[in-house]
Parts: sequence; C-alpha cells; structure tokens
Amino acid sequence: MEFKELQGEKVDATRRTILHGAALVAGGSVLGLSTGGAWAAGSDKPEKEEIRIGFIPLTDCASVVMASVLGLDKKYGVKFVLSKEASWAGVRDKLANGDLDAAHVLYGLLYGVQMGVGGQKKDMAVLMGLNNNGQAITLSKKRSDKGAVDGPSLAKLMRGEQREYTFAQTFPTGTHAMWLYYWLAANGINPMKDAKVITVPPPQMVANMRVGNMDGFCVGEPWGHRAIMDGVGITATTTQDIWRDHPEKVLGCTLDFAKKYPNTCRAMMAAILEAGKWIDASLINKNRMAEVIADKSYVNTSKDAIDQRIMGRYQNGLGKTWDDPNYMKFYNDGAVNFPYLSDGMWFLTQHRRWGLLKEDPDYMAVAQSVNQIDLFKDAAAMTKTPLPKSPMRSSKLMDGTVWDGKNPKAYAASFKIKA
Amino acid sequence: MRNLRIVVVNPTISPGEEDDESLRAQAERGRILRIGLLEAGLDIVASLPADMYLPEHIAKLQPDMIIVDAESDARDVLEHIVIATRDERRPIVMFTESEDTETMEAAVAAGVSAYIVAGLQAERIKPVLNVALARFRREQKLLDELSDTKSKLAERKVIERAKGLLMERQHCSEEQAYRKLRGMAMSKNLKLSEVAQRILDVEDYLG
Repeated sequence: MEFKELQGEKVDATRRTILHGAALVAGGSVLGLSTGGAWAAGSDKPEKEEIRIGFIPLTDCASVVMASVLGLDKKYGVKFVLSKEASWAGVRDKLANGDLDAAHVLYGLLYGVQMGVGGQKKDMAVLMGLNNNGQAITLSKKRSDKGAVDGPSLAKLMRGEQREYTFAQTFPTGTHAMWLYYWLAANGINPMKDAKVITVPPPQMVANMRVGNMDGFCVGEPWGHRAIMDGVGITATTTQDIWRDHPEKVLGCTLDFAKKYPNTCRAMMAAILEAGKWIDASLINKNRMAEVIADKSYVNTSKDAIDQRIMGRYQNGLGKTWDDPNYMKFYNDGAVNFPYLSDGMWFLTQHRRWGLLKEDPDYMAVAQSVNQIDLFKDAAAMTKTPLPKSPMRSSKLMDGTVWDGKNPKAYAASFKIKA
Repeated sequence: MRNLRIVVVNPTISPGEEDDESLRAQAERGRILRIGLLEAGLDIVASLPADMYLPEHIAKLQPDMIIVDAESDARDVLEHIVIATRDERRPIVMFTESEDTETMEAAVAAGVSAYIVAGLQAERIKPVLNVALARFRREQKLLDELSDTKSKLAERKVIERAKGLLMERQHCSEEQAYRKLRGMAMSKNLKLSEVAQRILDVEDYLG
C-alpha cells in the first residue's frame, strides 16, 4: 500500500477502486459496440478475480510486479497473487496443470510447449509482450584478457586456440538460447558443433563464471551487469545489438485459460500495460521500480545491479561507457506489447534451424493460434494503447538478414550455419 | 523388479548465496527428499548438484530414474537433458507438496518424462516409483512398437513397388517377382527391403 503514492495521486485507495470500477464498466459498454460478444451483453466483469501469476527473478518481471505493487490490478477489478518461481520448466508445468493462471515467461518456451518440444504438448497463449531488449552476452574475463571482447575476436580466439568452449543459456527453447546461437552463428561459430552449450539457472551464471566453468553466457539483466560489477566478465554484446527492439518475455497462459476467462485476461493485460507505461514514463519511475524489484521477494539483488542498465547507462567492463537508446523497454507506446505474429513465427524458424523442430510446421497457423491479437486489441482499447497497422513487422538483424514473416520456411532454411 | 538405480538431483548453495531464502528452502527440501528415499530403502547411486556437469554425470551413470524436487531450479538443467536425449528417454520423477493425483495421471497420460508424485511418506515411495517406472517402460514399448510398425510398413511399400516394377519389366507373375527379389537378397546378403530399394534407385537413375 505504501507505493500507492508512486502514482502521483493521493486518492484513498478504496474510493479509487470503486471510481475506476465504475469508469471501467462504462468504458466496457462503449467498447462492446465495436467488439461484440460478451462485452455487448455488458458482462465484462472478470470471470476470475484472483489471478495467480508466476515470475522468475529478473529485471524484466518489472511490469507484472509493478502492476501489483501500484494497485493497478485492483483498478481493473482483479487481484494479482504473485508467485516467485525457481525454474522455467517449473513455470511451464505449473501453467499446464493450472497451479499458475499466467506467467512472465520466455517467448520461445511457450512456442516450444505448443509444438511439444521436450515435454508435454499443450495449446498455449501469448497474451502480450512484456519487454523488448535488455539481455546481454557476457564473455569471461579470462577470455577477454586473451583478446575475445566481441563476436569477431571470439571467433578468432576459438580458431587460434582450439579446445572445448562452453557457453550457457537459460532454457533449451528459450530466448537466450536463440540470441546466443544467432550471435555465435553470425560470427561464423556453429553453436551445435564448435562449442558446448549448457543450460544454467540465471542466478548461478556469475558464480559459475567466477570459478572458470564457462567462457560465456547469455542471460537477462541484472546478471550481465552483475558479472561486470563482480569483475568476472565483460559485455560482448547486448541483445538489442543482435536485434533492435527484439521480443523477449511475454505474458503467457494456456489457450484454455484465455478462452475460459477472456475478461480476466483483458483486465490483467490492461493492468500490466498501464504498469509498463508508468515504468517507461520517467527516470524517477524507473529508479523507484528498481528499488522495488531489487527486494528479496522479487529479484533479490542490489538496486545498483538493476538501475544502471534500466536507465540505458551501459558499460562493457573494459572501460567503455555509453548511453544505449535501445535499453529495456516495457511499453514504448504499445510497440513492446503487441503480440506480432512475425515475432512468434521467428522463434519457430529458429527452433527449426537448430533441430528442435524436425519438420517445418505451418508457421502462420501456429502463430495465429498462440498470439491472442483480438484480446490484446481489447486491452489496448481499455488503456488507450496505440495499435500497429499490421500484425507483422519487419526487423533487420545483426547479420543484415531481414525478417518480415513472409516466407518462414525459406527463412528457416536460408542460414548457412545450422544444426 | 530389481533395485532401481536412482540419481537424486540436489540443489546446493554456492558461496555468496547463503541468504537467498528460496535457495535455502530448495536445499532443505532436497535434504528431506534424500533422507526419505534412503529410509524407503532405495538404491541412490549418486546425489548430484544441479550444476553444469549434470548432463555428463547422468550420461556416465545411466540411472534408471532421476528424482528431483519439483520446486528446484535444477529443473531447467534437467530440461536440457530431456531435449538432448529425446531419442532415449528416461523417467524423471518429481516430488511436490501437491496431493493432486489428477496432475500425475495427466502427466503420465501425456507421455511426459515427468511424473509428479504427492507426499513423501517412506512406505509410499517405493511402490509409487515402481508404478512410475512400469508406466514409463510400457509407454516406451508402445512407442517402440509404433515406430517399428511404421518402418515395417514403409519397407513393405518399397518391396511392393519393386515387385511391381519387376513384373512389368520382366513380364512375370507376382510370385516369380517375389522369388527373384528373395534370391537377390540371399545371394547379396541384404535385407529384402534393401534390395528392393536398390532396384527402385536404379530405375530412378536410368528412367
């Protein structure tokens, strides 16, 4: 409750909820004219008011946490019950069996579950994007001392000094695995053949690098910056330099949940959209967010480890400091949050590229089934979030390849380096 | 059923992480789990930390079953093993506080390598693990049979096509074509389907 004032309005919390509740009902019926269905009947009340949402202790859980801390959930008639999770596999299983209603989750993980890669196959839903950018690839101090400070110099070192090189990511079908593989391959290193790639839980990355167990890792913040603070690693690249404004974590649930509780989903999305807007609004807000999520119950690290990169102040651990305009974003006028079909398909193309998928799926059909664009449009209307013109976007990645979602099968097959 | 070779994956606390409550709770649950398994008289061949060497250790030990606490961060490392060994799966059992038997049934029915078992009473562990292993083996057998049947069906198709080709080219009966194929297979010491495939390949090549 102490954070209520962060919103800059000192309104009595209970009164506030009622006022907003009334406004929401009115807004809902106006919306109902355009969207039809249950809304037109006036039953926009969330079917399930208490929502259990899982998160992993990483900076990019911020909009979910802040929606709860700022009381934005109550504003939309729902209550977030946050659950700190220890592993992505745990998040996946708890979503599938209903222990969690929704979660802060890796984009690629949901597509992996949808396709039955690894575990149980289940129809999943991407409700919205939670953040763009803000992950990094770290190389160990030992390698940087030998000259490996970026992709090309790493490739040179690996050709010159041949031995087994170990790189870590956070989940086999997840985003970090895909950024790491893409970056290595763009530099002429085949992650499946020229290196050993392992899965390591994010909070263990820095400790493992300290004792010399790995040459590099790709993980979300604050762990990239933490490696620099601890003097064990250097930032070789940020993920926004691999793909500017790349999709990262999403708000996910099962397709069943999205179908059964559409009003609950809309309310949850609206609260998180507003929280993301709040975080992106000012440096003061970012600073306050860092203070909140550094706490034991969330990320459990020092505020210093979080706030530098959140504000776009980067250093690489080798003396270079820069202001990155493409730091982690939570809203960016809604561009962060729209569940672009082309983004979803991209993960499928990379799963195919690295042999996680043995055959080409119907890329478009899968993305259309997973990404809940209609639900997102309703939530965007509730929060006055702008919508893009098209559910597809065009992105140019670090190697110059353009991905626009138009020919996924050819794109997946086009890479020289693959599994 | 002979004694199961079991590997337990236990989260450990690294230096500097002593005051992380969730890690401490994980380590404590891991300890209770290990004691419970030992009390149930199970043959734990190794108790491994969830570190980067886990995949290698498991490949070396070849356990019948891997047991891990469902709330542990070791799960993601195990996930890596599951995907890396997709073609030779092995049951991974997870213990959770949840008493929900439906979850376990759903997991088993879906053919995942994870069985979620409720509770940790010593007298219940052994039968539960045995059931999990039996279910896993049965399911593996069905999967093997299915892939066997599929490949046999594919072989049959190749043989049929080769037979048809011989009948057309050499104006012989089906019986004669089959005998020719079998004769070639015996003299060249090849499987019938391999000889058939060669004939089809040559046909493709020469047109």
